[in-house]
Amino acid sequence: MAEVKLKNLTKRWGDFVGVDNQSLNIKDQEFLVLLGPSGCGKTTTMRMIAGLEDPTGGEIWIGDRKVNDDLPKDRDVAMVFQNYGLYPHMTIFDNIAYPLKVRGTPKDETRPRVEKAAEQVELTQFLDRKPKALSGGQRQRVALARAIVRTPKVFLMDEPLSNLDAKLRVTMRAELKHLSRALQITTVYVTHDQIEAMTLADRVAVMKHGIIQQLGTPDEIYNDPANLFVAGFIGSPAMNLINGSVRDGMFVTTGGTRLTKLPTADRARAILGVRADDMSVHEAGQGDIDVTIYAFENTGESTLLTVQWGKQRVIARGDRHLRKEQDDVVGISLDPDHLYLFDPDTEQRIRM
Amino acid sequence: MSIAPMPEPETFGRNPKRGLSGRQKKRIAEFVQVALILIAIFVMLVPIIWIFLAAFKTHVDVYQLKLFFTPTFENFGTVFDDPYRLGEKLFNSTIVALVTVVFAIPIATLAAYSFSRFTLRGETLMLVIILATQFVPAVVIILPFFVMFRDIGLLDTRLGLILVNLAIVMPFAIWMIKGFIDGIPMDTEEAAMVDGSSRLQVIRNIVLPMAAPGLLTSAIFCFIIAWNEFLFALILTNKNAVTLPIGLALFKGEEGDLWNLLSAAGIIIMAPMFVLALMIRKYFVQGMTMGAVR
Ligand SMILES: Nc1ncnc2c1ncn2[C@@H]1O[C@H](COP(=O)(O)OP(=O)(O)OP(=O)(O)O)[C@@H](O)[C@H]1O
Ligand SMILES: [Mg+2]
Repeated sequence: MAEVKLKNLTKRWGDFVGVDNQSLNIKDQEFLVLLGPSGCGKTTTMRMIAGLEDPTGGEIWIGDRKVNDDLPKDRDVAMVFQNYGLYPHMTIFDNIAYPLKVRGTPKDETRPRVEKAAEQVELTQFLDRKPKALSGGQRQRVALARAIVRTPKVFLMDEPLSNLDAKLRVTMRAELKHLSRALQITTVYVTHDQIEAMTLADRVAVMKHGIIQQLGTPDEIYNDPANLFVAGFIGSPAMNLINGSVRDGMFVTTGGTRLTKLPTADRARAILGVRADDMSVHEAGQGDIDVTIYAFENTGESTLLTVQWGKQRVIARGDRHLRKEQDDVVGISLDPDHLYLFDPDTEQRIRM
Repeated sequence: MSIAPMPEPETFGRNPKRGLSGRQKKRIAEFVQVALILIAIFVMLVPIIWIFLAAFKTHVDVYQLKLFFTPTFENFGTVFDDPYRLGEKLFNSTIVALVTVVFAIPIATLAAYSFSRFTLRGETLMLVIILATQFVPAVVIILPFFVMFRDIGLLDTRLGLILVNLAIVMPFAIWMIKGFIDGIPMDTEEAAMVDGSSRLQVIRNIVLPMAAPGLLTSAIFCFIIAWNEFLFALILTNKNAVTLPIGLALFKGEEGDLWNLLSAAGIIIMAPMFVLALMIRKYFVQGMTMGAVR
């Protein structure tokens, strides 16, 4: 039970900046997700909290203690490693029991706790095996069990579900969500997977090049992106970003199409962001603008229309009963309440 | 079907005009391989077989290249009797080699762990120097050793030989063990640290068990090196601390070389090596394949 504070945390290797002067307050019992593309510094941040990497600058606080100089073992955190870090010479039981054993938990207390943890990750029948005899997903669950067998101050989980199949991932996700609520332990969770981020997080920190781009609830990150990067990174399909300008309160694409009304001052260059879900598809002539279908995809629960829009391609989501062919012409309209405008130079959001 | 021969299934799609099919070529290659291996084994084993036979021959039989003779165990008795007393030499060799290993492996393990896991100041230089000592010809440094040992009274003592052998095997052991420790994934150790282990607990609970096959292999190699060491033992001992390889010289008597006794002693020297070679084979493979579990 502790909050985690990062103050001006920096990690450099020579000239290369892994994490750049970041500050972050993770509240007690909060589930914080670090989200970002590969190489943005998520693991590095996590390793600094765990004490496996020395920060080049800045402070790390766990609870009311500055832990910069504490050894990993004294920080009372449990970590799920991206590469699992299992002990190949020990059985699964001993792997999961190791944190208890090394911290001097009595033997009769160890067994029930290990068994419970194994049950939570559905590993009960593998306890006597060695890690080598498990599949990747099973190994990952061992790593998970080894973390949840204890009640540490902080959980650090580095893509703990990345190697599970789709079905197990959903089950484990629910299990993790339940656990984190039940145990009320502060959790830092790294993932590439937006659904995981959206479903698990109390707050999400979106990172790029070692810098936190936006920190907010999943709702804020999705519906109120702070800049172009967050807008383009969150959501599947990615938000459509259309180049153009604002003239006389209208957004005009670079191709010259007057697209939609915008309640904002004129500017020579602007990028309009609109999600596929915030566009509606009509018969030709009935939308704001007529476009030609470049590709039509049926995903089952909805349809995705990639349409050619001047020089740009844009993806709109249609009704699941919609049936169109390539090269058909359809009408598209934009939901005026959910449009985002960005400055192409600063890449920041222009509030309207 | 057609006049041209059907290509073998394996070569299907490759150039069918070549004279030999893939399977034939493979067979020839296999044959050549086996033949080469047999030749190599033969070349290496001939002296050993000769010694093995000679050890069971009488003095008279030795000079005849007889494959069939009445074997005798007499030689093995003789070498342990006066004046040869091979037992003492066997004892010296065993003590020197064992103690060398018992000290070398733990020290080398700690050194190797530090080299492998910490960034030390001048690390590369130290490693290179350690390696370089291996390339110094023994004859160059044997004189200083002799003078030093004479001054501090270590000449012709087992302790002296142990120190020399430590100096000989340590660089080798450090490099070899470092290789094994390098192979242990960092993640595993880091996981153990986060799980609550101190550095020493990490070494004891994680590194040592995981490197065990490698440590055993290194220990055996060190034992073999110390056991076979000849030059230093020749110069630095003369009576009390004489080891087996030096003991062989005893059998060069006035009557000429006593090949049958020499061979019996040779077998006594080689016997433990055969056993160790068998062990090494098993653990060496294990040590090499003991990789990461991702
Ligand atoms: N020991 C190191 N020396 C130099 N650069 C490093 C080191 N460790 C990591 N980096 C660099 O720091 C950056 C951030 O790495 P990090 O592992 O934190 O990325 P990540 O966000 O976890 O990515 P992924 O999602 O692929 O796991 C990367 O560009 C990486 O190459
Ligand atoms: Mg990572």
